[in-house]
Amino acid sequence: MSDPDQQLVDLTQPSPPGVYLAEVWRRRDFALLVPVQDLRAQNMGSALGQLWHLLNPALMVAVYFLIFGVIIDTSRGVDNFLGFLIVGVVWFHLTQRVVQDAAVCIPRNLGLIRSVQFPRILLPAATVNGQTAAFAPALVLALAAVIATGERPSLRWLALIGVLAAQFVFNFGAALLVARIGAAVPDMRQLLPHIFRLLFYASGVIFSVDAFVTSESWRRAFALNPLYDVITCARWCLLGEPVDSWVVAGMLAWGAVLLVVGFVVFWRSDQRLGA
Amino acid sequence: MDPGRAVTVRVDNAHVYYRVYEDPAAGIKQLFSSGRTGRRYQTIRAVRGVSLDLHESETLGLIGSNGSGKSTLLAAMTGLLPLQSGRVLGRSRPSLLGVSAALRSALSGRRNILIGGLALGFTRAEVESRMDEIIDFAGLRAAIDRPLRTYSSGMRARLNFAIATARIPEILLIDEALSVGDEGFRARSAERIDEVRSAAGSVVLVSHNMAEIEASCDRVAWLDAGSLRAVGEPGEVVAAYLASDAAR
Repeated sequence: MSDPDQQLVDLTQPSPPGVYLAEVWRRRDFALLVPVQDLRAQNMGSALGQLWHLLNPALMVAVYFLIFGVIIDTSRGVDNFLGFLIVGVVWFHLTQRVVQDAAVCIPRNLGLIRSVQFPRILLPAATVNGQTAAFAPALVLALAAVIATGERPSLRWLALIGVLAAQFVFNFGAALLVARIGAAVPDMRQLLPHIFRLLFYASGVIFSVDAFVTSESWRRAFALNPLYDVITCARWCLLGEPVDSWVVAGMLAWGAVLLVVGFVVFWRSDQRLGA
Repeated sequence: MDPGRAVTVRVDNAHVYYRVYEDPAAGIKQLFSSGRTGRRYQTIRAVRGVSLDLHESETLGLIGSNGSGKSTLLAAMTGLLPLQSGRVLGRSRPSLLGVSAALRSALSGRRNILIGGLALGFTRAEVESRMDEIIDFAGLRAAIDRPLRTYSSGMRARLNFAIATARIPEILLIDEALSVGDEGFRARSAERIDEVRSAAGSVVLVSHNMAEIEASCDRVAWLDAGSLRAVGEPGEVVAAYLASDAAR
């Protein structure tokens, strides 16, 4: 009789990346449908229900406009400041929500991780999908507001699809990395809001970097900030604000690097995430 | 036991340790004491050097007192728990029976069947084609569109069981899940478990119900303080365990 042990594989070792990705693809419905169900559950108890997905970004933009458009005027160098502000705030918060949610996606699902076997990458993937789906009303709101402030849709607006795709890739890569760190160091969750507050001011969300920063080399340095890159590209699409090739290259490079690094880091630790 | 039967899972000298931070009773004295500051932790050695083979079409019972490491060993067999040392080998990945951790109490039973099914690896289409069968098996037709939080614990357990047994894996691990619900459901679930047992390649059953262990297992392993005390004939091992339990 042949050795019956030959077919045994080490279950504590991660499966090879190809097998892993095939399993992720086979189970893609989990990452697509579960976050949608969770979004439904989120506002189920409130009086206005699902309307909050639209009201939330609207109120957020209103508050920023009150502070930075009316009380402290930072509109220097921008023709359509309301549109400028809306695009900045909405796009910044998409990444912020994805990344902050990703930091807790492993600890929050510990019970599931310990009882059901599936590629853990589905959890940050579900986070990215869920927050991106939650972004849809804000996106519609932003487009409507930009039109209301006097912009007219043009062919340039089509490039927004590319910007959103690049931001999705970037968000996904960042989510993988942060999910891994958040699983090992739960304190990450406390730190992230402060990191994002810093990034908020370093991304030109509420002011035009071109108008406020005079040094050419400093302006170049802003292109190293992926959020500045994404917001600037989105503003170019919708408002015709200037953009240079460094900014586009920065956005694409950050996305590609983070996706690869994030995947490798996450995949290598996949089996250890339940501890 | 027939030694010629193929091995489906091999646990090879497995150690599982947990690191647990202590939460000492905070008294004034501790606050001002000059001793070590920082957080103290304790290492819990839940499984200490267990080696065990599971064979094709075998039902193995796992017994032991509370805290002896049964559930930890069961979780380690899935490869889901990182081992301190040792290995877990398998022909395919064993699955724990149960999906309660995936369920969302704010959502309806129907939506939870979708979520639970997806967590178990079904596609959306596969869940939808089994939906009616799962609802009927759980006996929740009237309550299926109500949020889960309005369910009684028995109703929840029935739903969990019905979803979890919708797919039968090759190697199944069962942790005390057999006696849920009322009489009618218990009969149906016992029947389903038998079905699962005969379809699954091998089964590991953790239970405190010795009658059930003796009735359904081919072999029994007795776990004591993280180590195997005995492995063998169900009658003998259960008798030895009960004798030692009574002596304490």
